[in-house]
Amino acid sequence: MKRWLPLLLIISLLVPALLVGCTSGDQEAAPGTNGEEADEKKIDFPTKPVEITVLFGAGGGQDLIVRKLAEIGEEKLGQPFVVVNRTGAGGAVGYTYVKDQKPDGYNIVASSNSISTAYHKGNMDFDYRTFRGIAMVVKEPVSIAVKADAPWKTLDELFAYAKEHPGEIKIGNSGVGSFTHLTGVAVSKFYGADVVHVPFGKGLAVSALLGEKIDASVQLAAEVMNQVEAGTVRLLAVTGDKRIEAAPDVPTLKEYGYDGNLTLYRSFHAPKDTPDEVIAILEEVFKYAVESEEFAEFAKELGVQVSFMGAEELDEFVAKDDADTARLMELIGLKK
Amino acid sequence: MVLDYLLAGMNLVTDVQVLALIVLGVTVGIMFGSMPGLTYSMGIILMLPLTFQLESLPAVALLLGVYIGGMTGGSVSAILLGIPGTPSAAATVLDGFQLTKRGDAAKALGTAVFSSILAGLLSLVVLVLVAPQIARIAIKFGPAEIFALVVFGFSTICGVSAGNLLKGLISGVIGLLVMTIGLDPVMGVPRYTFGMSRLMSGVDLLAAMIGMFAIPQIIANFTASDKEVYVVDQKVSASFPSWSEIRRMLPLMIRCALIGIGIGSIPGSGGPIAAFLGYDQAKRKQGAGGADKPSLEGVAGPEAANNGVTGGALIPLLTLGIPGDPATAILLGALVIHGLRPGPLLFKEYGDFVYGVFVAIFLINLATLLIQFFGIRLFVKILGVQRYYLYPTILVLCVVGAFAVNNNFFDVYVMFFAGVMGYLLQKYGFPTTPVILALVLGPTIEDGFRRALILSSGDLLVFVESPVSIIFLSLTVLVLAKFYLSSGGSRQPGARQPKA
Repeated sequence: MKRWLPLLLIISLLVPALLVGCTSGDQEAAPGTNGEEADEKKIDFPTKPVEITVLFGAGGGQDLIVRKLAEIGEEKLGQPFVVVNRTGAGGAVGYTYVKDQKPDGYNIVASSNSISTAYHKGNMDFDYRTFRGIAMVVKEPVSIAVKADAPWKTLDELFAYAKEHPGEIKIGNSGVGSFTHLTGVAVSKFYGADVVHVPFGKGLAVSALLGEKIDASVQLAAEVMNQVEAGTVRLLAVTGDKRIEAAPDVPTLKEYGYDGNLTLYRSFHAPKDTPDEVIAILEEVFKYAVESEEFAEFAKELGVQVSFMGAEELDEFVAKDDADTARLMELIGLKK
Repeated sequence: MVLDYLLAGMNLVTDVQVLALIVLGVTVGIMFGSMPGLTYSMGIILMLPLTFQLESLPAVALLLGVYIGGMTGGSVSAILLGIPGTPSAAATVLDGFQLTKRGDAAKALGTAVFSSILAGLLSLVVLVLVAPQIARIAIKFGPAEIFALVVFGFSTICGVSAGNLLKGLISGVIGLLVMTIGLDPVMGVPRYTFGMSRLMSGVDLLAAMIGMFAIPQIIANFTASDKEVYVVDQKVSASFPSWSEIRRMLPLMIRCALIGIGIGSIPGSGGPIAAFLGYDQAKRKQGAGGADKPSLEGVAGPEAANNGVTGGALIPLLTLGIPGDPATAILLGALVIHGLRPGPLLFKEYGDFVYGVFVAIFLINLATLLIQFFGIRLFVKILGVQRYYLYPTILVLCVVGAFAVNNNFFDVYVMFFAGVMGYLLQKYGFPTTPVILALVLGPTIEDGFRRALILSSGDLLVFVESPVSIIFLSLTVLVLAKFYLSSGGSRQPGARQPKA
């Protein structure tokens, strides 16, 4: 017994390692095993788990939405979805990984506007055309907020002050070239005001706003709603076509006269040579998941808008969005 | 009022399912935390999908169990193998591993558990009593204040340089240089990427840390003859610290726990810095001394500090809805999907839930204490494993761990590269702890520095504008002056070479 104890210990050490290794190891092996894809013509899809690459960290908005959809969609798919976070370089790491996989539908990416921002920033040398759309799942409005005791009651007031005091107003966003940064710049250009855009890490802009280090924050609406409800932060505007359910008194940017969309979208994409039949199957699965009641409830908790869009429409949408993003990034001087 | 909530909270928690989940969470946490290469963050991510099916309180109890269990478990491999299970345990290696080499492993582990739990419970008390007040102070920490705090954190290089400050500083600069690789965090400009897209996301801290601590040991154990290797053939009995030792260390533990709570509550400052400051406290006040005279204080300090962080990080999370570190960020996600939006209203609207969490944290700490104390008897057995079994196993774990960080094989190369670098550094007498310190603090200090300058439109005076930054900066100056004076007086010819 004594003799075996060390070995037992080692084995017990290795078990969790395998657990971690396997969740990833399986799929790592998957692209290499080409044998089973030989009879692809018949479209026997899927015969093994489908891996979804998430570009951002576990527990973040993107990650939670994908995991939920994967959970609901699995049943319909008949095979498990495996969610893997491949983070880094504003999404470029994950996009690069998926791009290099076999275009057989077993590797797809949970995408967003980051496909455009990462490309135009110069983080990767390929753009949205490397992928084809499967389905859009949600849209997230961006919010512009000030502290509850700030003197500005409307966006017009804030920027009127900013115009009188150039370089004085500081607006926090979640990082240079992030979607919130683009939104902040678009709005300040719209008013023609000279403000300082301060890049923060994810979520930290809210903390800086409460700590009075900045005058306003541009954040996803979902990220500030708890402060709004508590009365510590005042929303001045949200992006998107219509006002948000959680704050019906807050006007949209359109109502302020800004002509543009500026809404974050989240979608699934596959490498561009993925066969139509496979895309259709996945599209069907995500349509089922996105339109389920379970997801509707989930989205409400998260504060995001359920917004399904099919593959074809999505491709057009992304092309247009990419052009818009390019223009904005040109304005900031970030375009490479 | 509070009592009502507390009773309601207790009701929620004292449920077989919740208790079982707490035990599960703590066990998973300790396993992930104690294994070199695997971290509690991975454990939390692994458990996350499971929580979708649970009610909100059981879900949070499970995740918190992994978090707290993992934070405590991180000390195990740090002490036994000299490889920290988590970045927060890097400071524990310094004295802890030396104690193991002397055959005091069980005592070091016992001290680590005791101080961890003490700090965990203390942080809970603070969380319950004064969370909103602390949160109000914590958000006053803007970029300039965080910069000053991190500068102060860097002053601990003096303490971990094993007697040779110059070499320690060189190591620190190497770490800082490595951390500049990749897209710069503020403007997104690629630095030292040599056109490789892999390098854009920079060097992964965890992969580098695993390599830097583990690989040199593996190499040393493979290249050394049987005689040269420290052989732990003395019976490693589970001898826990005595009461008098605990009493002696109590003030230190409390002080370090408070440091941990404070730093944990500042969003964006990170936990490892607390552990290093804790080690510094131990060393300065009680004379812990790395290779030459390791002491239990050198274990108690950092362990109390990093477990203080667990409660501290929950302060901004629960009161403001702002996560203080990556683990609490995942926790925030879990709360949100259960329809609980942490923030100012959470206490008001879900008082019983919040107090349920408090009771759960208390039970989690108890569970950690029990499991870990019984675990020690098992853990120390690892020292009995022949090294030709043990070290290949560790190597496998390191490769798996480095891969699992981002599911990216590139990180495995990074791990090996960092390992070889670490081996060479140690061989030539450069301490590797400052490298790790710089890897951990480098991004934070750069973020703070540059963000502060953006806020001030380039005016450097921003760093001495608030009392908080002035205090930290002058503390730094004080530490440096004191170190210079004391080492200047007693400098031996041929500074001490740290042993690997």
